[in-house]
Amino acid sequence: MGVQEKLDNLIVQMINENQETLKNNWLKEVKLFKEKELVGTTLKFSEETDQQFFSMLIKHINFHDISKDGTLDDFFDQVLHTGLPLSYLTQGLQAARRVVLNLLVETENDKEKVAAVYREIDRWLDPILNRVVENSSQIWERTVSVQKTALLELSAPLIPVFKNISVMPLIGSIDTERAKLIMENLLNGVIKYRSEVVLIDITGVPVVDTMVAHHIIQAADAVRLLGSTCILVGIRPEIAQTIVSLGIDLSLFPTKSTLQKGMENALEITNQQLISNK
Amino acid sequence: MDIQSCVEVRNEWDIVSARQLGRNMAKELGFGNVDQARITTAISELARNIYLYAGRGKICIEPIDQLGRKGLRIVALDNGPGIREIRKVMEDGYTTSGGLGAGLPGVKRLMDEFSIESTVDVGTEISATKWLR
Amino acid sequence: MRIPILKLHEYLLITIQVEMDDQTALQFQEDLLNKIHDTGAKGVVIDLTSVDMIDSFIAKVLGDVVRMSKLMGAQVVLTGIQPAVAITLIDLGISMREVSTALDLEQGLDKLRLELEG
Repeated sequence: MGVQEKLDNLIVQMINENQETLKNNWLKEVKLFKEKELVGTTLKFSEETDQQFFSMLIKHINFHDISKDGTLDDFFDQVLHTGLPLSYLTQGLQAARRVVLNLLVETENDKEKVAAVYREIDRWLDPILNRVVENSSQIWERTVSVQKTALLELSAPLIPVFKNISVMPLIGSIDTERAKLIMENLLNGVIKYRSEVVLIDITGVPVVDTMVAHHIIQAADAVRLLGSTCILVGIRPEIAQTIVSLGIDLSLFPTKSTLQKGMENALEITNQQLISNK
Repeated sequence: MDIQSCVEVRNEWDIVSARQLGRNMAKELGFGNVDQARITTAISELARNIYLYAGRGKICIEPIDQLGRKGLRIVALDNGPGIREIRKVMEDGYTTSGGLGAGLPGVKRLMDEFSIESTVDVGTEISATKWLR
Repeated sequence: MRIPILKLHEYLLITIQVEMDDQTALQFQEDLLNKIHDTGAKGVVIDLTSVDMIDSFIAKVLGDVVRMSKLMGAQVVLTGIQPAVAITLIDLGISMREVSTALDLEQGLDKLRLELEG
């Protein structure tokens, strides 16, 4: 049996024999930072989960190599997804290192041995620490990319086309949050470009139900309050059918089937004309 | 941070003071100008209700911080006649004063959270919160 | 507090630049109707560019002013309503569909001229 292996066995033996004591010491340490770490979150990290965390660590110290078993990864994934701060886990790991070393120093008198075991424990815990940080940053990267996509979907640009005429093409479904953004962009754009007419193009809106219609009517009403005219364009046959069968009244606003027809209407309202050079 | 400011509402001019206080606090907390207008308008509606129906009462405005989520809470308190039919006053267009009947349901739409408690002959407490986005 | 009303040919121009309390609003309603009566004005532009809040009471007064002026033979155009104000009005459920609007004072006057002179 090599020196290294003997050392490993010694540590494993010591840890296994004193599991209860280690766990209790560790839970005490965790309590010290627990409250501070969870301030500002709605999380309740139960003591049960703390205990689970600790037994995972013990298990992996026994395994000696964290890549041998995926359960630790799963555990980190799970708790980080709940929004647990990364520092909670890293502090937990540091606390685990502390309690193991404290016990060691208390029970072992041979200084040489203590130093060797110290290095050994570092060698075991560091990969776990790296793993946690890695997992956490991956989760963040995913979240950011999901949000970026959502943001793009949400965007509702107002495009000035001709003098005093702007178009807002809407693509994708419209919920209450997006409706608010549409309204704000629309109104700010009307002021910015001094648009007398704005065309809202709903060709790309898959479903127009009562709620979507309600939001559009509100937007058109607000545009009118500002002193501009809103024309709803891109009304496909199936949309016209749903609007009427749902009993939604859009008769107060000018509507056109296509953007082109709406644009002709807008030019008329603003006293402009397109002249062909033919 | 958690300093509550209150305005006594006894006359029409107090309505203006209440909404000015609300606008300043909303601005300080970092609300955008649309939400500032929403908060100011909600305060105006609540203060006017106190003036019209209870005669006197107060509007209290406080910044709140719930687990890192920031917002502004408006509380309207009075010892007036109370509201007999809460469901009715929450209907659009219902009015007993000849107004537009937009008041309370309007406040609910302007704000994110809304609650009302009223006991006939004892008084009314309305609480409305807007969260910082 | 009184809101000044200017006369320009056969139009009246009002720019509201004060925080309106209920009394000021009602006083304004009365002053405007008297002025329409005195001058025989055919059109009125009320510019709200500097108004940062319209609650249901002020909205009601404005709507009433428009209808009353119409009864006296004067068309009213509201101009310069700010986006935040428009959004709040819509939240309140007030769309003022019967009221004529324009982006600014200049367009408001153009609109009146178009409506009155054809």
